Amino acid sequence: MIAGVVGLLSLAALVALVTGLKRPSSVVPAARFVASQGSALALRLPVALVAAGFLGLLVPQSLVAGSLGAETGLSGILLASLVGCFLPGGPTVTFPLALVFWNAGAGAPQMVALLTAWSVFAFHRLMAFELPIMGWRFTAIRLIASAALPTLAGLAAGALVAFTGVEIGR
Amino acid sequence: MPDETATAKRSAARKRGPDRITLVFCAIALASGFAVWLRDGPDVVMETLLASLSLLAYLAPQVLAGLVIGGFVQELVPREKVARRLGGKSGLAGLVLAAALGLVTPGGPFTSFPLVYALYVAGADIGALVAYVTAWSLVGVHRVLVFELPFLGPDLAILRFVASLPLPIVAGLLARFVGRHPVIALPRTPS
Repeated sequence: MIAGVVGLLSLAALVALVTGLKRPSSVVPAARFVASQGSALALRLPVALVAAGFLGLLVPQSLVAGSLGAETGLSGILLASLVGCFLPGGPTVTFPLALVFWNAGAGAPQMVALLTAWSVFAFHRLMAFELPIMGWRFTAIRLIASAALPTLAGLAAGALVAFTGVEIGR
Repeated sequence: MPDETATAKRSAARKRGPDRITLVFCAIALASGFAVWLRDGPDVVMETLLASLSLLAYLAPQVLAGLVIGGFVQELVPREKVARRLGGKSGLAGLVLAAALGLVTPGGPFTSFPLVYALYVAGADIGALVAYVTAWSLVGVHRVLVFELPFLGPDLAILRFVASLPLPIVAGLLARFVGRHPVIALPRTPS
């Protein structure tokens, strides 16, 4: 675990060093990006983790495992696709919530469908950014073109697990 | 339209204090913490708080590393050159290029959607735009690196990445098909 963190930090330092030496003009905008994104996360991430910690205790595990477990198959994938559409907010709050589902016994294909549905439909992002910036035509075309993606991703994940026989560790 | 003032206003609002989502999650944390207190007592509440904080200590450096990688990679992508290769006649290659660009675009919707609009103005077609947005939201390397790997572990993250990799192309092809319908077809020049 610690080795992974150290490896990632070294990779970040390497990328920053190489890019900074090759293109010195990129350092200021890159630092600005890190500062603005980081400050947005500084409050949100701890709050979301604490909320997810308590929710994890309160969510009845048998209910999650029974309705979204690996053996629920296509019906679990369809339900997960629906649940994913209504997960609120950006990744800082969604991933702690996804962790609650995962720890409570949701299956891997169902998790893939859930995360795909959230990625593609994220209602909050749609209302706050996509509609105002891109307009309703673009949004409508994108939603129609993406409607089946969560279920497709869930089925593909199920097929990959069955085909390769890989155990997905929690 | 993603003009400068709207973006500035948004970031000013961001700086004034916690945003709405954070406040909602504050309320959820307080309410669920209170429920756990009533059901399991103060010891379990403290235990859970400590567990959340140690998870934060484990996640925070990884999130920071992901942001640094994203911030620098973003500076290496030549945006204007790319937009010219994403027109309506770009075929499958245009969709693949758009998906690849979405894959490496870091940051949240406040950086990616203005970029989508810029690509649209620069001449990218609906298929390329949808492939771009879908790749960014579905298999964006930045998000996988910052959130998915640390939170859910490599097994699930890799499985989801592989299962979703072809989907931006599927969505792009479908969008070209749907986008031909005159009721919702995008005007060639932005209004």
